Amino acid sequence: MSLDDDDTPTASLMPGPSADGEEALTADEVLEDETQDFRLFTKNAHISAQTIRKGEKDFESHGTRAQENALEQSRQTMTEVLSYTRVHSKQNWVRAWYFPDWWADWREEEHEVAKDGEKKPFAHVSDRVVLLEGSSIASMNLGRAVTGQPKDKPGRGLDWLLPEEALYLVERGSLDLWWPARSMEELFPAATAPLKQDEAESESVAPSAEIPGEDDEVDEYENGFPLSLQAAYSLLIGNDGDRGKISLQKFQVFSNLKRAGYNVLRAPPTDRHLAISQPQPPKSLWQWLSSLLSLQHKPQPYGPLVQPGLYRSYIPIYQKMAIIPRHKPSPEPSSPFEMDEPFAIHYYVWKAAQKWSKLRHPAPDFRLAVVDAQDSDVPTFEQVTALVDATPHNPANPEWKGPGRLYARLKHGHRHVLIAVVDHGVINYMRFAEGAFGEEVLYERFDARGAPRGGKGGGRGRGNGRGGRGGRGGRGRGRRGR
Amino acid sequence: MAETTTITAASANGAPPDATDKPVTALPPAATQQPTPPTSNRPRTPFHQIHALPIPIRTFPLPTFFPNNPISLVHLVWAWVRQVVSSPAAEPSTVHIGVWDPATGSVHVNDPKSIRVLWEQGFFGKGTLSRSEPNWMKRELGRRGASQAGNVSEERTEARREERRMAKWERAKTELEAIEQQRLEEARLHDAPSAEVADEPQPMEGAQVPEQVQLAAELQEVTEEPAHVAPVNRPVVVSTIEGARPPTGPTELLALPNSLLDLIQDPSTTCILENPKPPVGPAALLALPNSQADLTPNTASTTETPQDDKTVLNQAPVDVSLPAVNGLPNGVLVNGHTRSNGTPKHGVVMTTEASASEPSTFISMMAQVNGTTPSVPSSLPSSESISVSTPQGNGPQPPKRRKSVRFSPDVESTTFQHHDPPRLSPDGLPKSTAEVMNGNVNGSVPLPSLPSPEPTPNTVVATPVLEAAVNITEIPNKEQFQLAPEEAFFLVFAMEVLSIVDPVTLAPIPTDKLLTLFRAQSHFPPQQVGFSLQPQDAFLVNYAVYHHFRSLGWVPRHGIKFGVDWILYQRGPVFDHSEFGIMIMPSFSDKHWKETKFEAPRRSWSWLMGVNRVLSHVLKALVLVYVDVPSPATFDEAMCQGGIAAALEKYTIREVMVRRFSVNRNR
Repeated sequence: MSLDDDDTPTASLMPGPSADGEEALTADEVLEDETQDFRLFTKNAHISAQTIRKGEKDFESHGTRAQENALEQSRQTMTEVLSYTRVHSKQNWVRAWYFPDWWADWREEEHEVAKDGEKKPFAHVSDRVVLLEGSSIASMNLGRAVTGQPKDKPGRGLDWLLPEEALYLVERGSLDLWWPARSMEELFPAATAPLKQDEAESESVAPSAEIPGEDDEVDEYENGFPLSLQAAYSLLIGNDGDRGKISLQKFQVFSNLKRAGYNVLRAPPTDRHLAISQPQPPKSLWQWLSSLLSLQHKPQPYGPLVQPGLYRSYIPIYQKMAIIPRHKPSPEPSSPFEMDEPFAIHYYVWKAAQKWSKLRHPAPDFRLAVVDAQDSDVPTFEQVTALVDATPHNPANPEWKGPGRLYARLKHGHRHVLIAVVDHGVINYMRFAEGAFGEEVLYERFDARGAPRGGKGGGRGRGNGRGGRGGRGGRGRGRRGR
Repeated sequence: MAETTTITAASANGAPPDATDKPVTALPPAATQQPTPPTSNRPRTPFHQIHALPIPIRTFPLPTFFPNNPISLVHLVWAWVRQVVSSPAAEPSTVHIGVWDPATGSVHVNDPKSIRVLWEQGFFGKGTLSRSEPNWMKRELGRRGASQAGNVSEERTEARREERRMAKWERAKTELEAIEQQRLEEARLHDAPSAEVADEPQPMEGAQVPEQVQLAAELQEVTEEPAHVAPVNRPVVVSTIEGARPPTGPTELLALPNSLLDLIQDPSTTCILENPKPPVGPAALLALPNSQADLTPNTASTTETPQDDKTVLNQAPVDVSLPAVNGLPNGVLVNGHTRSNGTPKHGVVMTTEASASEPSTFISMMAQVNGTTPSVPSSLPSSESISVSTPQGNGPQPPKRRKSVRFSPDVESTTFQHHDPPRLSPDGLPKSTAEVMNGNVNGSVPLPSLPSPEPTPNTVVATPVLEAAVNITEIPNKEQFQLAPEEAFFLVFAMEVLSIVDPVTLAPIPTDKLLTLFRAQSHFPPQQVGFSLQPQDAFLVNYAVYHHFRSLGWVPRHGIKFGVDWILYQRGPVFDHSEFGIMIMPSFSDKHWKETKFEAPRRSWSWLMGVNRVLSHVLKALVLVYVDVPSPATFDEAMCQGGIAAALEKYTIREVMVRRFSVNRNR
């Protein structure tokens, strides 16, 4: 990850645009791009997912013993780290069965309402093809049980995985995907009492306790056989739109985000039709009158827009120049266009550090579309407006006021969406935000300009922020290779 | 490897270990002489006064009335009455004249007053010989030593870059010194078992040990070689290969020959090889000769005109360097050597200054550096010996050559600083090498310099001393001021500050004709006037965006330097960096375009990532500006009814802010 091509190398070296709260980097984040010093592993007995990045990169041997030693020590530690024996504990392992057609005919309500009246997120039931036998730590936040089934339905109450979830677990090594040799009814008979409790108790004992004949030491391979990773890929990866499969790009994005610690769920299909243009509210009488008045002030066909005359202020001058309609962002989506694939929201993404469960969670932090870099182009006007309008209105922090936060406001935009561009497995995430320069009129401050004022950067301490520009590449030779 | 050999040679020769620090102490003459910024003492008008007006229209605000202060009412009434009685001329009070130039596709403004107004009030246009503000004249005056030359932005940029470069080199130097220190310490630790060190796979450690028999013997051979370089060649190469020390720092790596072939075939490289000390400091590194050509012409001219006082002076550092070729171990020889070659670095400025007053200062300084006292007369034979050893003469193939442009064998190294104006010698012919060398001494001619960074302020300071007799009034202003079509059209169409005249008839072009002209011009090849023009003409789309941002108060300027269509300044280039780069995305969402199967231009993702990468490296944010083009029918109808003002209303502009999202940073 240290070689991950994160944002601009220079940006990590400088404090970042100070006004933009989103972009201000903490010290940790600045360090994140640094190279790893493996020696630090020895000091931390427990190596978590958060690796240690620190230190300076040496690009050539300068022949000192100290350098040699440091290198050797790092190598040693790295070997030690890598030679760590990895154990698959039962708690972190679970078996799952591939039943591609079990939910093929299931029709799902747009918003399933649970007993307590709370809306449950859309479950994509018909796409769920992998049945989890039990549960494990890794699968805790994945899968869904399909509720509202008759009691005699086999496998009732068990969690079902979406293809990307199953494949992600298989790749992690915490799931064994099995091909069933028997039918669902035989493997998971309906009558076997309350499964849920049984599971909870015997979770660590025997995940496959329900399977008949298990007690008699019957060969479990009679029930089915485990699938290889290749087989799992070929079963679960497909084209867009195939039921029970997922496109490779979407899976790669899902797995990348999961590994980075995000919580990811498939976006419900309802969102894709959210962009319904609402009728404009009727104009008030005053607006109508003023529009009549403005009609009389039609600009000259070929200018000048600003007629010669005596002007007391710049505001009327600039107002006369405003002939091109400006975009006005509104809480209601205004785009007349429909989202079209691949520019549609595919995933909801939550940051890691939150109270999150697969059934109860706040509104997503990001909405994400996945596109293939080879098959698609930069979105057109229709695509981008439809996509951006499918996200909720999210204006900049109201505290960002005044000219000092102008850039931050503009960059934040009013709605924003992520587009993951996948090029042969390399993922680049781009944030597209609805900009509204028309909301920020600069000319209103022009009249105050005549008076002398302190500072020349519009009141912002731009100087320090820009100081780093010259240090392009920071360590010069160091960064050049990236 | 060359450097390392010579280092070990030095230490093997019995030089004290701290000899390695010598170049550091030797540097100060060059390094400590900071570029003195050519700030004039006159108080400069603050930018916010110069650029007080956002557009070339003045406003006459009435004084504010404070109800609790009756006098303010008097003030108000007085101002109003005064303006009523003698009302100021209707703004815009002056209409500037621009000449349409079909060859460059731009509008030229010739009146200096108009140029100042258009630049200062709204940052329109650019000077053809300047980055943006038309200040070539100012720079030229400053370069010729006129006292009224202010500092221009290009020079400030240069100075800033130089500072940064120096800081980087300083850092590199400190790093190298630290490594050297470490190495010395380790060598000291290994002092006792020195016999084993010989077998060590890390030769660099052993190399520092003076007692080391094997290496010392080998190196002794090298250092005892006589002054003539050519015979030394082979042994040096050999010892380099068996090298006592691998090239360690970046500097040594840079100094390496490109191949073994270079070493063997080019005897003069030994000049560098013989250098007993790696150039450590920034100045030293910058002064390294780039090519053989840099080294030879100097010696050639020495042999030609050795009696010329100035020339001898000019060559003095070469002379100084030669004793070192003879085997003296320390000193910054290569530095001295190339400095004499006219690198307009700090050192050179000193040389030229010294030439005017006290010729021996620099020599003695260099001598101090070298620890020897070379005499001037010794220069002749030794420089001959060098020129003998470099038989390539005019056209050698240098082992390493960066950034210098060769036009003919006569002009040896013609690297131009980008702020040097194109210029010929007084007789209009390119100068011969000897002339250039002489001019070098006089300080009047831009030096055929190494591509090394030149602290412009220094030359600016140094030259007036030597050449005060430039007749400033003679300089014609070679610079043109040009307005891009979008800017020109905005000035005409939005506020009629500008009147554009035909280059032949000098008759003003009416606005509608001007629009057609610009639209036709935006095609390639330019279409004939009257040819079917489309609503998606590049000029119209570009102008719509330009007008959109201008009318909001932004200062858009062409952004080709940053790989975008426009860059947006909040107040203007002199106040702030532009924060946004704009890429225009013409869009065709109207159903007309769908019906006619119009092929909209497609932009690949790699294109977008490339643009974004470049922009984020200059700390700008990318804005995709989608311009939704109306159908031709709508456009034509609007054009018939309300002209271009109505037609522009049919364009829809949407900004989309694009930024890279880092998964690792947003967790």
